[in-house]
Amino acid sequence: MLRARKPARGLAALPLVLAVVATILLCLFPAVVSSPYTLHVMILIFLSVVQGESWNVLGGYTGQYSVGHAAYFGMGAYVTIMLLQFKGIAPWYGMWAAVAAAIVLGLVIGSITFRLRGPYFVLASIAVAEIIRLVTLNWKEVTNGAEGILLSGVPPLKIGETVITDWSSKVPFYYAGLALAVLTILVNYAVQHSKLGYYFQAIREDQDAAHSLGIPLARYKNIALAISAFFTAWSGAFYGLYVGFVDPSTVQTVEVSVSIVLICIIGGIGTILGPVVGSLVLVPLAEALRSNLIADGLFALGLDPTSRTGLFLKENLAHAHVLIYGILVVVVILFMPDGVLGYVKAVTRKRATRTEAA
Amino acid sequence: MIVFLQSLLSGVLVGGVYALIGIGLTIIFGVMRIINFAHGDLLMVGMYLTFFIFTLLGIDPFLSILVSIPLMFLLGAFLQKVFINRVLNALPQNQILLTIGLGLVMSNTAMLLFTSDYRILTTSYSSGSVSLGGLSISTPLLLSFLITAAITAFLYWFLLKTDIGQAIRATAQDRDAAQLMGINVKRMSVLATGLGAALAGTAGALISPTYYIYPQVGSAFTLKAFVIVVLGGMGSIIGATMGGIIIGVTESLAAVTPFIGSGLKEAVVFLLFLLVLLFRPAGLLGKSRM
Amino acid sequence: MQKRIASMLAALLVPALAAAAPVKIGIINSMTGPQAPIGESLTNGMKLAEEDLKAKGIDLQLVWEDDTGKPQVGLSAVEKLASRDNVVGIVGAYTSAVTNAVAKKANDYKVPLVNPVASKEEITRQGYKYVFRVSATTEDYAAILLDMANSLGKAASIAILNENTDFGVSGAKSAKAIAEKRGIKVVFEEAYSPGSPDYRSTLSKVKAASPELVFMVSYVADAILLMRQSREIGLSPKAFLGAGAGFSTDKFASEQEISNAVFSSTQWTPSASWPGAKEFGDRYQKRFGKVPPYHAANAYAALMVMADAASKAGGDREKLAANLRAGKWDGIFGEVKFQDFDGYQGQNKHQMLVEQVQAGKFVTVWPQKFANGKAIYPFPGWKK
Repeated sequence: MLRARKPARGLAALPLVLAVVATILLCLFPAVVSSPYTLHVMILIFLSVVQGESWNVLGGYTGQYSVGHAAYFGMGAYVTIMLLQFKGIAPWYGMWAAVAAAIVLGLVIGSITFRLRGPYFVLASIAVAEIIRLVTLNWKEVTNGAEGILLSGVPPLKIGETVITDWSSKVPFYYAGLALAVLTILVNYAVQHSKLGYYFQAIREDQDAAHSLGIPLARYKNIALAISAFFTAWSGAFYGLYVGFVDPSTVQTVEVSVSIVLICIIGGIGTILGPVVGSLVLVPLAEALRSNLIADGLFALGLDPTSRTGLFLKENLAHAHVLIYGILVVVVILFMPDGVLGYVKAVTRKRATRTEAA
Repeated sequence: MIVFLQSLLSGVLVGGVYALIGIGLTIIFGVMRIINFAHGDLLMVGMYLTFFIFTLLGIDPFLSILVSIPLMFLLGAFLQKVFINRVLNALPQNQILLTIGLGLVMSNTAMLLFTSDYRILTTSYSSGSVSLGGLSISTPLLLSFLITAAITAFLYWFLLKTDIGQAIRATAQDRDAAQLMGINVKRMSVLATGLGAALAGTAGALISPTYYIYPQVGSAFTLKAFVIVVLGGMGSIIGATMGGIIIGVTESLAAVTPFIGSGLKEAVVFLLFLLVLLFRPAGLLGKSRM
Repeated sequence: MQKRIASMLAALLVPALAAAAPVKIGIINSMTGPQAPIGESLTNGMKLAEEDLKAKGIDLQLVWEDDTGKPQVGLSAVEKLASRDNVVGIVGAYTSAVTNAVAKKANDYKVPLVNPVASKEEITRQGYKYVFRVSATTEDYAAILLDMANSLGKAASIAILNENTDFGVSGAKSAKAIAEKRGIKVVFEEAYSPGSPDYRSTLSKVKAASPELVFMVSYVADAILLMRQSREIGLSPKAFLGAGAGFSTDKFASEQEISNAVFSSTQWTPSASWPGAKEFGDRYQKRFGKVPPYHAANAYAALMVMADAASKAGGDREKLAANLRAGKWDGIFGEVKFQDFDGYQGQNKHQMLVEQVQAGKFVTVWPQKFANGKAIYPFPGWKK
């Protein structure tokens, strides 16, 4: 037992070094790769990482499986964009209002739904998010309703008189996304290695036991929710600014909530790297299926595009991308209940013990 | 006044079909403690079955349930044996996501097979109505309400009076105790999922003549089914029946209430749902299972 | 190595081949997701255009992208088309929500975009230099219907019922503004969530307001549902007006019991007197087994215009944009010309039509110039 722990401590430095190296490489990435499309996919991955890590604080560490995070995501996107488009308030100020609104919303929702457990909490979180969506949809005077809000542009970011960026290329969004992603990963790290995190995990493992140990359940659940809502709202604001258009059917649906949860489930729930792995699997996969890159790849490998199989794949593979997504979910849940990361860890551990035994 | 009565009436009739969807979900939940997020997609499968039985074989949608009930039962049993059975002891979020995944697979397979075109069943009575003292009652809706009532009555008899029914109820009340009593809990799970799927399929068949069919039609009904089931108390069949009718009426009346209207009628339903969760979490007729 | 030299030589020796490089055009459409049923009509229309263009000797290469009905996915498609596939121009997208995002991005990339059928006014009012639209705007859907109603007899009141979506809300807004301008009293106004099985209560409210005109904006299936339930509860105004979409589909017309004498505005019908419209309709019917909705014709026209302009631009995006700005095309969709007017840029002034279902068939009844039948007015009431 002791022997096993020692190399583990030695290894603890390794992930840190790897993380720093990865961050540095990612910082240098735009200098090397200039293809806007590649940068765009990277930005989508960052967005997904931020969403996943934010949800992870509440769902992963505290065990409150919210399927209503579209409420905070939508709040972040809507408030930022409304303030910018209707009031001309720069997003780096508006974002704070958005975050504050999301936290307030979160605390209200929390005080209602945290009394519920298990499936009841899941259903309540969906119901609340749906109510928010319907209100946004029907409160036309304020939110522009179903028509959504089209952003005419993001004002240049200035410090004093020097223009830092005018947001005209992908690069500033890339760095903003990267910064957010790194920040949320750090937050998860901090949560996992703090007293707060132990409280969260105690609540996840056994609420009643945690309660009897004197952990105030409601307070810590609400703290977890506030952290989670804060960063989810930020991801929403980032999305709104990047895409330049928000409407209820794209930022507030149950689908959005489910996709946020899936990032963590596929990657591995309640781990720092789970959402990163989930994003690295889901975003490129969705993009490749959608744009028929997989069929193209098969053709490049020698499959005849005019053959019957070729034609069939070309016609249907793009259509089948949600189907494949669904199959992936089923497979992961049945065969890798701890997500891809957990599965890889288990496999390597098995191998390690095997070599040790040998 | 006439608007109010008309809305009340159509609310009750639509609520009958909602009840059927809810009963299916509540049986599955009762026996396995799994919330089936693919419930609406089972309904969708039932609708397509009805559609093709009608267009290819010319069998009336209301009669077609005699064919679709056994087929849907087999589908449900299959899903339970192959997929759901493996996660019975898994974390609740994994159970939920598994059914979400199954739902995605079903709806997207339907899309590949049948395209995403809307399909509408047109029967001779599709827009027919009988009038009753100034009110008009939709013929197909009335028929489906009567069939729902008959099926529900049969179900009560089945669950209360037959051995299998009692075994299912016992499993729903306490799975472990049921197992100790010698009930084959695994078999009950298969039966319950089959039964739930058959009911969802029947509901699909019954609304086909008055609604339309497309691969993603299920999701709206899944959410509604949850509301109905929680309202009535998870696992309670009488509760789900009442829940269905309450939701039907609430939607219908909210649509004609000033300041709410058609746009927000669903928000009212969700609000009602939250209120019930908060003040009567066990549901109107359920035992507390918090 | 030898191969490379050979190909370099070939490139040097045969400049004509280089000039006839394929015309590479990107297409963004909702092929999956909730908008897919109509997206499919667009795909079909563009497939026919592709055949015609190839027959004309244009070496067309299409890159198809699915936007799944989501703006951020549409963005991915633009990014990929503009920077990875290096298309000269883009045709798309179907919905207004996606087009909003797509148009902005395409304009940033200076990739000319021809939009087939998204009708939200704002899209061509942003001062974009590289965005062109074949489609009429939402306002036109309402305006033409009320013009027609006015020609049949002055109506005193109108009820407006629309689905709570982008298209529905902006259509209703335009209808309200126009009605008020013409002195028609708006006695009922409501947006409903699409996909509800029961509209009876909403319709009873409409009935209680007893309007002379009932104006509705709905997609395919809801249009049929609304009319069925109108019949059930006996809602019988002087005229039912449907703003395109669900009311101008073949499926709607074939539901004779409930569709008879319903008016709808449309951008195109096979019976319109534009050159080749009828042939297009027959061809489409033969190929895909259904009567083409206007969406298919819009998409066909958009791709024809784009490919024609692009084939003369030799892969140069600036030149393509200039060609689109200067050109004029005539075909199954009538005259297409991108103009700047009333705050619009690159907007085609498309002539809308009003059609009416008569015995299961669409008859064009307005404007007079295009009419091939006489309007049934007022609404004859429901057959028992």
